Amino acid sequence: MPDFSPTQYAVPLFVVAVLAEMIWARFRRPEAYEPMDTLVSLAFGLGSTMAGALFGGFAAYVFIEAYEYRIFDMGDQWWAIWWAWPLCFVLDDLKYYWVHRAGHRIRWMWASHVNHHSSQHYNLSTALRQSWTGAFTFGLLFAIPLVLLGFHPIMIAICGGFNLIYQFWIHTEAIDRMPKWFEAVMNTPSHHRVHHATNPRYLDRNYAGVFIIWDKMFGTFEPEQRSDEGGEPIRYGIVKQLGSFNLLYAVFHEWIGMVSDIWRAPWKQKLSYLLREPGWSHDGSRDTSDTIRARWQQRQTRTLPVEAKPVADQNPIAGSAEAANSPI
Amino acid sequence: MDIPPLLLQFAGSLIAIFALYALARAMRLGGERVLENDESVKAVAAQVEDGFDAQRVAIDRGGTAALASDDQGQIMLIKRHGNQFAGRILTSDARVSEEVDAIIVTCGDPRFGPVRLSLGNPAIWVDAINRL
Repeated sequence: MPDFSPTQYAVPLFVVAVLAEMIWARFRRPEAYEPMDTLVSLAFGLGSTMAGALFGGFAAYVFIEAYEYRIFDMGDQWWAIWWAWPLCFVLDDLKYYWVHRAGHRIRWMWASHVNHHSSQHYNLSTALRQSWTGAFTFGLLFAIPLVLLGFHPIMIAICGGFNLIYQFWIHTEAIDRMPKWFEAVMNTPSHHRVHHATNPRYLDRNYAGVFIIWDKMFGTFEPEQRSDEGGEPIRYGIVKQLGSFNLLYAVFHEWIGMVSDIWRAPWKQKLSYLLREPGWSHDGSRDTSDTIRARWQQRQTRTLPVEAKPVADQNPIAGSAEAANSPI
Repeated sequence: MDIPPLLLQFAGSLIAIFALYALARAMRLGGERVLENDESVKAVAAQVEDGFDAQRVAIDRGGTAALASDDQGQIMLIKRHGNQFAGRILTSDARVSEEVDAIIVTCGDPRFGPVRLSLGNPAIWVDAINRL
């Protein structure tokens, strides 16, 4: 039976890659890195590993218990069934898409996942800015169907590890675009820059882990528009930037905000502050990604010159917005 | 003496983290952006709050912070954060105090911290913030 964690072996590679990107930044784009931001991101990564060691046992216990109720049995030699590995990898990536989407659309999940987005930079150190509090969400439930299908928890963990390793290299501005066929199927730096952007056009888009096809299938894909393609520069981070390099504040700020909202909310609304999208408020006084995007779309349709309309029609978001909101 | 592998891994990672941080500083990555003119403040304000249309702007003499207001009476406090900028729309929780050559604005978010601005004509802004 295989007994190894691929991410552990990848750590030295991560360090060397960050170093290589820093050298690239030194000569090409010094502003791509900020020492304090990098320090916080790397500390996040270390803390996340420690949190995993401390709290990961609970998820393992749940999966091993659930495995007893599997529908299909691959037998004691499950690890020797070659086709089960790629199948598990693809299904695990599909699971990742949904758990990631939930991470952006359910505040309880966002309270943990926001950590990964809290940097205003986008470089390889950002990839290591991982949450400490994932064990306190219900994210592990998304993997239960795989366990019940008969994939051994160790197989799922190994596939998940390789998934995470793949996602490391896409956190960079050093790579512009990959070949077209690759961009069509795989998640790439270009697609993932969109995911980390706070520009209204890009909010809550491109949730993919390894295969971008899930976003195309489920209607959440948005291509990156470079400035030479009429796009505006990408702004990274979160809608309300932290403005602080305090590590503990960065880790827990959304948990604190969520709990205090629940505490102050009327009884009927308390659960909504846990389960509805980030930014939702019972009195409508705050912005969600949907309201921000809708406002932006309205501004676009108001300011769009008539002759520019054909270009906008070719864009999926602008196109759909005109159908729904256009005052023209 | 046997050192637990997890502790060894922790210590090794910690050394690597500080080494990369030190290297980033040694390579002078990051730099220090400044707010040079009204246009740059307006651009940053529109990024902090999508659609914020700054009509009046005051830039700190060092270019590290600014205040901006729109035609709806909203006031935004902007400060440099690393080599980026972050900001907050001020509410009635905002406080302003005056020093000899600067004003100190706090937005009510303790982690955002107080922001010191050395302005040419601070009285207008002090008054506007106090009226929020």
